Amino acid sequence: MEDNIALELKDVSVAYGAEPTVRNVSMKFKKNQISALIGASGSGKSTLLRSINRMNDGLATVTGQILFHDVDINRPKVNVYKVRQEIGMVFQQPTPFPMSIYENVIYGLRLTGEKDRRVLDQRVEESLKHAALWDEVKDRLKASALSLSGGQQQRLCIARTLATKPEIILMDEPTSALDPISTTQIEATMMELKKDYTIIIVTHNMQQASRASDWTAFMHQGNLIEFNQTTEIFMNPHEQATNDYLNGKFG
Amino acid sequence: MSDWEKRLTGPSKETNQERVGRVLTTLSITVIGLLVATILIFLASKGLSLFIKYGVNIWDFVSGTDWSPKKGSYGALPMIVTSFGVTMLAGIVALPLALMVALAVTEILPPAFRKVTQPVIELLVGIPSVVYGFVGLTVIIPILRQWFGGTGFGMLAATVVLFLMIVPTMVSMTIDTLLAVPESYRMASKGLGATRWQTIYRTILPSAAGGVLTAMIFGMARAFGEALAVQMVIGNASIMPTSLMSSAATLTSVLTTGIGNTVMGTAANDALWSLALVLLVMSLIFNLAMRLVNRNKEG
Amino acid sequence: MDPQKSNRLATGVILCFAAIVSLIVLSLVLYLLATGLPHVSWHFLTSAASSFTAGGGIRDQLFNSFYLVILTLLVSVPLSLGAAIYLSEYAPKNRLTSILRLAIEVLSSLPSVVVGLFGYLVFVLQWKMDFSLLAGALALTIINLPLLTRSCETALSQVPFLQRQAGLGLGMAKWRVTTRIMVPAALPGIMTGAILSAGRIFGEAAALIYTAGQSSINVSYSNWNPFSPTSFLNPMRPAETLAVHIWKLNTEGLVPDATAVSAGAAAVLIIAILAFNLLARFVGGLVAKHFRQ
Repeated sequence: MEDNIALELKDVSVAYGAEPTVRNVSMKFKKNQISALIGASGSGKSTLLRSINRMNDGLATVTGQILFHDVDINRPKVNVYKVRQEIGMVFQQPTPFPMSIYENVIYGLRLTGEKDRRVLDQRVEESLKHAALWDEVKDRLKASALSLSGGQQQRLCIARTLATKPEIILMDEPTSALDPISTTQIEATMMELKKDYTIIIVTHNMQQASRASDWTAFMHQGNLIEFNQTTEIFMNPHEQATNDYLNGKFG
Repeated sequence: MSDWEKRLTGPSKETNQERVGRVLTTLSITVIGLLVATILIFLASKGLSLFIKYGVNIWDFVSGTDWSPKKGSYGALPMIVTSFGVTMLAGIVALPLALMVALAVTEILPPAFRKVTQPVIELLVGIPSVVYGFVGLTVIIPILRQWFGGTGFGMLAATVVLFLMIVPTMVSMTIDTLLAVPESYRMASKGLGATRWQTIYRTILPSAAGGVLTAMIFGMARAFGEALAVQMVIGNASIMPTSLMSSAATLTSVLTTGIGNTVMGTAANDALWSLALVLLVMSLIFNLAMRLVNRNKEG
Repeated sequence: MDPQKSNRLATGVILCFAAIVSLIVLSLVLYLLATGLPHVSWHFLTSAASSFTAGGGIRDQLFNSFYLVILTLLVSVPLSLGAAIYLSEYAPKNRLTSILRLAIEVLSSLPSVVVGLFGYLVFVLQWKMDFSLLAGALALTIINLPLLTRSCETALSQVPFLQRQAGLGLGMAKWRVTTRIMVPAALPGIMTGAILSAGRIFGEAAALIYTAGQSSINVSYSNWNPFSPTSFLNPMRPAETLAVHIWKLNTEGLVPDATAVSAGAAAVLIIAILAFNLLARFVGGLVAKHFRQ
């Protein structure tokens, strides 16, 4: 695997029943870049994203190879829990657990058996800073996570994902439940994060893809139509379907 | 094998956790599954041994009218008839009355009234059946004795006790069914100029019919399986009932009194198990009926 | 008939019958309380039952009822919760799962006298437990399992789906997500279910007369060793409950004041049920608050 590639999909198909929702997708995600998956609802973009860290286990049949550090993680033998710690996920809606801000952030870390207070404290600060939430919550880390606003909760969930030090962060429409100001903040956070992480984001918001991503993949009816640098996709789409979607002819 | 291969395929605390969870929960469900299987097998084998081991004819058991196990006579018809008799009577009387109470609560009385009725109904549903039996002994039977003469013990007393016992449950279930009818139906009906009564019997009742029927079957199933409350007031005479005021015995009441009076492993004891088997089969039929009604409601 | 008139007539008829039914049922309960409560005194609650003379209390029966409920919950809550977790988290969608669900349904439709009979044959005779609290608790567990499994499953299903996903996304095992996130969030619902089922088994009698037995031996309330035969905590001793006591007094009771004692015991039983219901309502209120946050 080339050095600048964080993840490679080879011929990945996903089926919930007999009919596949995602068909034979092959693509490479570059390290320290933000890649966006766009497409109409039902195009298979979320399904594909969820298959990457095996969230579709038990729900759908995923075939093909998902290569991470030259290891095909789409095999039964692979420890899914470790995969999910390396490839974290942020969901459509903020999902804080009903406990304190501090406890939320270190939740994943506790799984690895980390007990040292200093390490935990340090990781909390680091993760919250990374997620651009530290200044707003540093004085009330013991407060309930449910007392935060929607945008803050989502950044807390990002911090919680960061705390386990994943290499890749999957974001499934992370701003769809947020107001414009919070959305802008999350996008700014993403720009900061790509220095240390590889981000793959699913979005239904074309402006978001054009603003925030380096690479954009357009999916249509389960097929990957076009995958290229974002400027190229938006300025000069090669495929008619991409052009139609970007011009609002469907979607 | 690369480091990453090792790192991503090796076991971790979480794989262990998962195994623990799977084992514990599978164990729980297996215990329950085995329990049910054991109960069914036990009841079936014990219940059938009267016919297999002692060669009693099934038809004689079901249609015979003389129940004297000590003399080798196993006619269970009187109990079967009595069980069905009291259950049917209680259910049929309770259905319209429970429906009217439920209609009054959901459709006629102001909604604030429900805040009072709900806890009261919940309490009545929770009152143990022996308490209803005690009420039957101390209140119902003296009244029946005064009105109709005789001892007061018998099918009528049992019916009244069962009625009292199942009415709260049926009211509660019927209220739930009526509340589940979408408010838009009522609005639409009223908007067309229908009176409250027209709305009730043209719109609400048809769409709630399945639920009301389920409530009745549920109540009857409870009545059919009730033992002590009935045994306390029915007079416990295993003979064909001749009138509502004559002493009788149900499947459950014979079981209750018989187990203490027979020796395990004898034909007389096995005959009781046959009664229990009849009881089980009937309970399953009630359950099946409820499922059928529910399926039709959904379909 | 003119619709207005029939409307008024129907409304009148419904209200009239509803009032009659409610009055009859409520007056019986009030009658019970009115005749029973005067008999309930500190002496009544704290003295032993008598076999032949008047003036006996219900101390042992009352204690046995509560103790039996606790023993039953100790067995049935973990079992039901485990089964509920299996059904909601692990069960594959196949024939075996639907058979298991059907089995639980079958269990819920068993008449309690049949359960008592089964308990007598298996627990009391075959497993040689004799008439004992343990045999009674096992019989009550059979009655309790279906209802409790269903209420645990409902409580688990009310936890937002996203919470479970978030846990899985962090790389937690399903079992850890269940025990650390789902069960704590569903706890108030599970407790409500357990308390309501406790109320139901508190008054159960038919399943107990041939399992927990119809007699109470003399026990010492100061002997805290559950393995000592005279200890009140000993689960291997026969134990008559309040509900069984009422039945016994009224079918073969020899005491002259059987009716008064029964009425008192019935009043205590009703008040206990009321307390269970209120407690369940209170805990249920906490659930609503919990999810509103």
